[in-house]
Amino acid sequence: MAQFEELQQAIIDGKAPVAKELTDKMLAEGIRPGEFFPKAIIPAMDEVGRRMRECEFFIPEVLIAARAARASSDILRPLLVGADAMTAAGTVVCGTVKGDLHDIGKNIVAMMLESAGFKIVDLGVDVTAEKIVNAVREHQANLVALSALLTTTMVNMKGVVEALSAAGLRTQVKIMVGGAPVTDAWAHSIGADGYGKDAPAAVELARQLVAA
Amino acid sequence: MSSKPTHRVTLRPVQTELTAPAGTALRDLLFAQGVEFPCGGQGRCRGCRVHVLEGQASINDAQRERLSTEELDQGWRLACQCALEDDLVIELRQWDAAILVDESPFAFHPRAGLGVAVDLGTTTLVAQLLDLSTGRVLAVRTALNCQARFGADVMSRVDFGAAKGGEQQLRDLIRQQIGSLIEQLVFAANVPQSEITDVVVVGNTVMHHLFCGLDIEPLSRYPFESEQLGLQTFRPGDLDWKLSSEARVRFLPCLGGFVGSDLLAGILATNLSERDELIGLVDLGTNGEIVIGNRQRILCASTAAGPAFEGARISMGMRAATGAISEVKLEDRAITCRVLGNAEPQGLCGSGLVDAVAAGLELGRIQSSGRFADGASAWELAAPVVLTQKDIRELQLAKGAIAAGIRILVDRFGPSAGELKKLYLAGAFGNYINRASAQRIGLINFPSDKVEAAGNTALLGAKLALFLPEGEDGSFTSLRQRTEHVPLNADQNFQDTFVEEMAFPQSTYA
Repeated sequence: MAQFEELQQAIIDGKAPVAKELTDKMLAEGIRPGEFFPKAIIPAMDEVGRRMRECEFFIPEVLIAARAARASSDILRPLLVGADAMTAAGTVVCGTVKGDLHDIGKNIVAMMLESAGFKIVDLGVDVTAEKIVNAVREHQANLVALSALLTTTMVNMKGVVEALSAAGLRTQVKIMVGGAPVTDAWAHSIGADGYGKDAPAAVELARQLVAA
Repeated sequence: MSSKPTHRVTLRPVQTELTAPAGTALRDLLFAQGVEFPCGGQGRCRGCRVHVLEGQASINDAQRERLSTEELDQGWRLACQCALEDDLVIELRQWDAAILVDESPFAFHPRAGLGVAVDLGTTTLVAQLLDLSTGRVLAVRTALNCQARFGADVMSRVDFGAAKGGEQQLRDLIRQQIGSLIEQLVFAANVPQSEITDVVVVGNTVMHHLFCGLDIEPLSRYPFESEQLGLQTFRPGDLDWKLSSEARVRFLPCLGGFVGSDLLAGILATNLSERDELIGLVDLGTNGEIVIGNRQRILCASTAAGPAFEGARISMGMRAATGAISEVKLEDRAITCRVLGNAEPQGLCGSGLVDAVAAGLELGRIQSSGRFADGASAWELAAPVVLTQKDIRELQLAKGAIAAGIRILVDRFGPSAGELKKLYLAGAFGNYINRASAQRIGLINFPSDKVEAAGNTALLGAKLALFLPEGEDGSFTSLRQRTEHVPLNADQNFQDTFVEEMAFPQSTYA
């Protein structure tokens, strides 16, 4: 058990090489790949989320912690087959909407969702509604996460909701939105399913939405 | 006609008394008094909060979201969310902006007549009336940009103009305001308005487009580039101004993206485009704008630094006015605060914020990650004014964006252009900020002898443009050809550099 705690600490401290080394060592000692997520990676990123909420961690610390989590999960993912196969918590198509190039917030949400066991299809920035519809169809996604940082581009979230409806996919996916100018009221007004005020809230929301 | 009941509103500390019909939006009433609404009055920020000392003002969801229960209990309200329903006594926390008026001497080619130079800022306006034969300034007028009720920053202005169909309203408002400033100038100087032959206006791209009546829709979305950046020339009749019909009104051309003629004017004022060495010019306003260049090549960029330097989104932030902590000094490991107007401390303005964080770093109270070392959530600077953990985070975002922008532009020149010889800080904030503190927090990563406050370079440049030699009409074709706008968001290194620059340096720049 101490080993899982050690790995958790390495992730929280943002030590990617240590996280990688520990993961390799623990696998060599016979720990099943499927155990890492519930026992180390998910709790570590939940802790990172908590610290971010309490202003203890800021963007740089969250990014390096997520990088350390990824150093571990990159080793594990190819091994999650057969008896170790993990059911993804859900498949999320995410992106920053058309006209907007801000991606730090979206990247943090994507990395935290990934560490929470979601499969992520990140379409990047300046993403058209059409691209999102195609990705939802192709990956059979059950969640769409949209980001916008400008008052002038957040309106394009509405276009994505409409395009998903028009494509007949609206019943298949839940839509969550976030970004500096976005509010809960805005999320409701465009027919989205929820608003996450920060990355930890987005993870919480995603868990609720797939459980609903 | 039924007469509606009216209510009386008393403003403190200015002791102004207003009367208005019941149901009047507090926003409209207070805007006329110079109160600003940073998010455009949409309940998205805390910038317009007022302290209701007497009377009732209703609370809605937007206020519950932005104000704590204690604050609401104490009578704090968001002015933009309240309508008049009772007689009120309100304490205002916003004050007139300090506007920098340039008084530097400059070279000129004398000619007959009078001229007006206008620095049209997103927040403030400065206009000077000049005697073109002597170069003497005859009168000065300043004002808050009256478009500000539709949003404090350029993006909310674009949003109101493009998405909500307010382009024409914004255009008419600003044209009327500048027209009336000019009337005030000639009245103050006691000269005939008919002698004005030339008016030069400078401003960022959004101000340029709104004043000139150009379509701002391209500025609302990626890649944020308009095709119509050039010089715009008007006759007074086009603008409904009562000047001689022969007078010429010019809005100088933009440089690219959001970087407008205020920075072009800054290039003229610092002579940056005529020098062999590499020179930088940074305007630390709501929109941080950066120009780096020499006689061969000029690069410019804008960063959405956010309004932290102007006190917005800072828990006890305010403009540089009476009651603001404007300096924090460190003596024998203890801090002393200077409060503007020799009053009780009420809040923290941009220069005080930068000083406070620099002092916190020196004292080891703040770590280079930005975290309070003892895990505290706030630090009391001078009761009741505190610096919160979240305030430090806001400053990290603002200074990270500016520092990253400067680094990326300087790097693009490569080693062959040599080191940056001089970095000029333009605008009011650049004048008041303590340079040692700016270095301590990593906002300006250059030694002090290279950094210089340059004053209101936009206004100085606009004045220079009134005295251009024959043959130069103000289109600055050759200068603009040498100038390249760098869209930072599209630069692949920007995000990484931005994140790196969010941290504070371990120790002072050596």
